[in-house]
Amino acid sequence: MNARIRGAVAAACAAVTLAALPALAAAPAKVGPVPKVEGVFFSGTWEDPFPQEVLRDPNAPPVQRNTQPPVPFNDKAKAEMAARRAKLAQSKPTELQGGAACMPGGFPGMMGPVFPLEVLQSPGQVTIVAEAFSQIRRIYLNEKQLAFEDAEPYFWGHSVGHWEGNTLVVNTIGLKDSIRIGGGPHSDKLQVNERMTVTSPDTWEDQITVIDPEYLTGPWTYTIKYVRRKDYKINEYVCEDNRLYLDPATGQQKLRLGE
Amino acid sequence: MQSRESTGRAALMAVAALVGMVWTGAASAHHSFAMFDSDHQVKVTGTVTRFDWTNPHIYLFVTGGEAGKDAKPMLIEGASPGILNRIGWKFNMVKAGDKVTMVIAPLRSGEPGGLLKEIKLSDGRVFNNGGFAGPSQISLKDEK
Repeated sequence: MNARIRGAVAAACAAVTLAALPALAAAPAKVGPVPKVEGVFFSGTWEDPFPQEVLRDPNAPPVQRNTQPPVPFNDKAKAEMAARRAKLAQSKPTELQGGAACMPGGFPGMMGPVFPLEVLQSPGQVTIVAEAFSQIRRIYLNEKQLAFEDAEPYFWGHSVGHWEGNTLVVNTIGLKDSIRIGGGPHSDKLQVNERMTVTSPDTWEDQITVIDPEYLTGPWTYTIKYVRRKDYKINEYVCEDNRLYLDPATGQQKLRLGE
Repeated sequence: MQSRESTGRAALMAVAALVGMVWTGAASAHHSFAMFDSDHQVKVTGTVTRFDWTNPHIYLFVTGGEAGKDAKPMLIEGASPGILNRIGWKFNMVKAGDKVTMVIAPLRSGEPGGLLKEIKLSDGRVFNNGGFAGPSQISLKDEK
């Protein structure tokens, strides 16, 4: 091959390579079917068997609602709660807080269920959406839980889980200080263990156990039951304006009346 | 952290404790209902001037009042759109200019406003305001 031909071949190769570059860059990523979703099926929309938001006929027979035992607060927790109450009784609030300030309730309160919940199962993850305040928690499957010191305080914490038969076993840590546990304080060593057991195609229950060595004398366990609502689509929920303000004179909540 | 909301919640818990159970953490209280007097509900009629279909509460702006009293601008609070959707309400079922009859728990402050218990639309349909607002002491279903 003489020099001229070699040069022409090299130029042609370069042209081909350059021409191929954009094509390579635009090569489609490998796609395929959705990976297998593990566990038993409980995706869908769920609610309290006797939703509190629906007005019941006062003449209807009473129903067995979800209940909770008393929270086993230790002396430190009780003292802090008493101090907080005393301070509250003396002071005049100047700012709306919590739900009044359109803040979400966080976990585990969002499991309420005051409004319906939606469960979404995808590969490696279970996502729970609460209609109230559009709250979302993500449960990562078969992952190691964070160390306490690595868990940035969140409204809904950091959740990992795995399936044991029909039960999704979940551990959650890392809740913000502002999230009250049964009306009381919690430490950064708080853990919430859940056993989400699918009891039939249209029912499941969440056994919630709260552990906090700094504020509870032992585990606080309660169970919430859910029933499927096939015909219900979750409403959007943005806490736009509750027309509340605090009366500067009294610190009491008032409604902003004018248009 | 302190708030009126927590006092409201504490009051709620006290009520719950009375009936032998405490349900904490599930509350989505946006405020205490203590500002409304549910024991002395009144019937008001009026004309809607504005209808806000918003969370956490819907609001009816109505110019009206109790029978025999002067009409004035009032603010009536309803439940949330999610609650109302599931019990038959619709975001556009009330419009400015509509005449409505309502049973309300008036504001204890005496200001012109209250919490809705039941509403009768100009087409005769009657709706309640969900479980948290509680039952109406006066039924609008049977009246003309």
